[in-house]
Amino acid sequence: MSGKRISMVEKSNNKRQRVNQVPKFSINDHHDVLVEILRRLDGPSLCSAACVCRLWSAVARNDSIWEELCFRQVSPRPSLSLRSVVSALGGYRCLYFLCIRPVLARLPKLRWTRDQLQLSLSLYCVHYYERLYVGAWLGDAPPSSLMFLRKPVNVV
Amino acid sequence: MKRDLHQFQGRLSNHGTSSSSSSKDKMMMVKKEEDGGNMDDELLAVLGYKVRSSEMAEVALKLEQLETMMGNVQEDGLSHLATDTVHYNPSELYSWLDNMLSDLNPPPPRSNGLDPILPSPDSFLTTVAGASIGGFPASDYDLKAIPGNAIYHQNQFPAIDSSSSSNNQSKRLKSCSSPDSMVTSTSTATQIGGVIGTTVTTTTAAESTRSVILVDSQENGVRLVHALMACAEAIQQNNLTLAEALVKQIGCLAVSQAGAMRKVATYFAEALARRIYRLSPPQNQIDHSLSDTLQMHFYETCPYLKFAHFTANQAILEAFEGKKRVHVIDFSMNQGLQWPALMQALALREGGPPTFRLTGIGPPAPDNSDHLHDVGCRLAQLAEVIHVEFEYRGFVANSLADLDASMLELRPSETEAVAVNSVFELHKLLGRPGGIEKVLGVVKQIKPVIFTVVEQESNHNGPVFLDRFTESLHYYSTLFDSLEGVPSSQDKVMSEVYLGKQICNLVACEGPDRVERHETLSQWGNRFGSSGFAPANLGSNAFKQASMLLSVYNSGQGYRVEENNGCLMLGWHTRPLITTSAWKLSTAAH
Repeated sequence: MSGKRISMVEKSNNKRQRVNQVPKFSINDHHDVLVEILRRLDGPSLCSAACVCRLWSAVARNDSIWEELCFRQVSPRPSLSLRSVVSALGGYRCLYFLCIRPVLARLPKLRWTRDQLQLSLSLYCVHYYERLYVGAWLGDAPPSSLMFLRKPVNVV
Repeated sequence: MKRDLHQFQGRLSNHGTSSSSSSKDKMMMVKKEEDGGNMDDELLAVLGYKVRSSEMAEVALKLEQLETMMGNVQEDGLSHLATDTVHYNPSELYSWLDNMLSDLNPPPPRSNGLDPILPSPDSFLTTVAGASIGGFPASDYDLKAIPGNAIYHQNQFPAIDSSSSSNNQSKRLKSCSSPDSMVTSTSTATQIGGVIGTTVTTTTAAESTRSVILVDSQENGVRLVHALMACAEAIQQNNLTLAEALVKQIGCLAVSQAGAMRKVATYFAEALARRIYRLSPPQNQIDHSLSDTLQMHFYETCPYLKFAHFTANQAILEAFEGKKRVHVIDFSMNQGLQWPALMQALALREGGPPTFRLTGIGPPAPDNSDHLHDVGCRLAQLAEVIHVEFEYRGFVANSLADLDASMLELRPSETEAVAVNSVFELHKLLGRPGGIEKVLGVVKQIKPVIFTVVEQESNHNGPVFLDRFTESLHYYSTLFDSLEGVPSSQDKVMSEVYLGKQICNLVACEGPDRVERHETLSQWGNRFGSSGFAPANLGSNAFKQASMLLSVYNSGQGYRVEENNGCLMLGWHTRPLITTSAWKLSTAAH
């Protein structure tokens, strides 16, 4: 073989090696980036994302994602003290599933304002308080005043 | 063609002796009765039927009954008519008709006093009727003319369906058979001032509640209401025999209904029966833990209590704006369900949460357990979680009137702002003379920045029993109607029991025992105004929260929030049911 051809072959070999050597980017290695992406999703998409794989399900439990979901449309943004209260009461993910999503589903398409937020928080707080009854309740399951949110809407 | 008794009587009086020209095809044509009742009717005899003139009226009615029954039976097929029974001698119309009627409606098997057709053998009424308490003769089913405009049917005059539905003269009845023999009753229809009353005496011996299969439940719904009103009227006039008979009927009728009407009627019937037989309902104090449980279920099932709490909290929150130390005195502590939401709102308010002090007042628990203390512990747990400084004190008192301002350890008003809250508690004081005045005096001594009151919006405290009964019937019917949309569950049943206890107390008790003395907003307003309070308007925030809460409940169908002079009323369709109002001390009183 001529020298030229050998150098060309060597170059293409090197190129292949170089291509092989460049590390692949995987989102699963960068959880913070994943979180940032998930934070921009809406409710149903986020729930689908949480079903992709175990890793994503675990990452999706990050409360800041749900906080973003809850407050995206609220303006002005609620104070930081809210975060500590909500975390203590069970977190934003539970708040979303128990209160915010059903309330949003039932109300006609309103802008999600502070009033709805206040209502959801009140209901959430009552729910937490009722759970304190576990063990102290006579007989049956502890009460839950959020049952009216869980039951399907009566289409009569 | 249906022929009415009225037409009959008309013909009886009008018909002269010139009957020969009358047409033969009208079976019911009859001569005057004066020719002696034992002669066979000539016209019918020509056709081949032997009917005594004296029995013509009954035969007519029986034929109508038979016609109705056959018409109704048509749906199931007439198969059971083709039975083994042999009907003899159709030309003897009277006995043949009897035979046919009893065959179509065979008497129920002899049971031990319990009516197999009524599906709720353990209901209060059948047990009472079966036991025949107090020496009231169960066999005498005496329905005198029921007076009063309450039951007069304004529609077709000839319609015999008066409000006494188990009257077997009514066309609509399918059967009215007694366990023993066939019904051979004589009846005379008398007209009293346009109201048709009948006297029915039966030949049967011992008889518990008659088994009545009632068709056409909408008609029965109207009859049921009329029977309830008539019974209340009878009690008002102290005519207890009539009331007792009516109460039994109400029991039959109530069973034929469905849904809310049935439940309301059952509860009212039970309460009326208790009043008639002077059986007092179980004392309130014994049942306190039960009533707490029931109220909790009521809280979950429907939005009334939540509405009350949220609107009162909003008023208190606005009154506490800018205050660093706040104190709430709650006359209606129960399980403390109102306060988590307020604490959360205080925790998140601008400028951080104040120091929150709560004084809860409640009746003593039956087992001497300190349930107020337990409630306080739970609230303290919540307060710790949401970082609100919390202080709690519980007071046990049999009645609010036993309270004194000095017991409450009030601190000077410059350091602490006080709010007083009462949800469905103040009306209980109206039974004792001077009770409400004392409590209002204590509240004035407390000098609250706001006094929130939630009460039922209805006048159940009038001096006349009948008026109270009517008002409460309408009120609780509306309330039960609003519960109909809730899917059935144990919660719902317990809520209904909760309301049923109120009904029982309202109807069956008197004097200091009767605690459910509800009054309307205007009445409370007058009382507060004359005691030195001025209304404080609930703001639009409260209205918005309330509207939102209700629209989440069952898509908000049916519930209405109204604003009335600064107070908020929650109602079902057009009827307001509960009212939240806020009061402050009028400055003139200082």
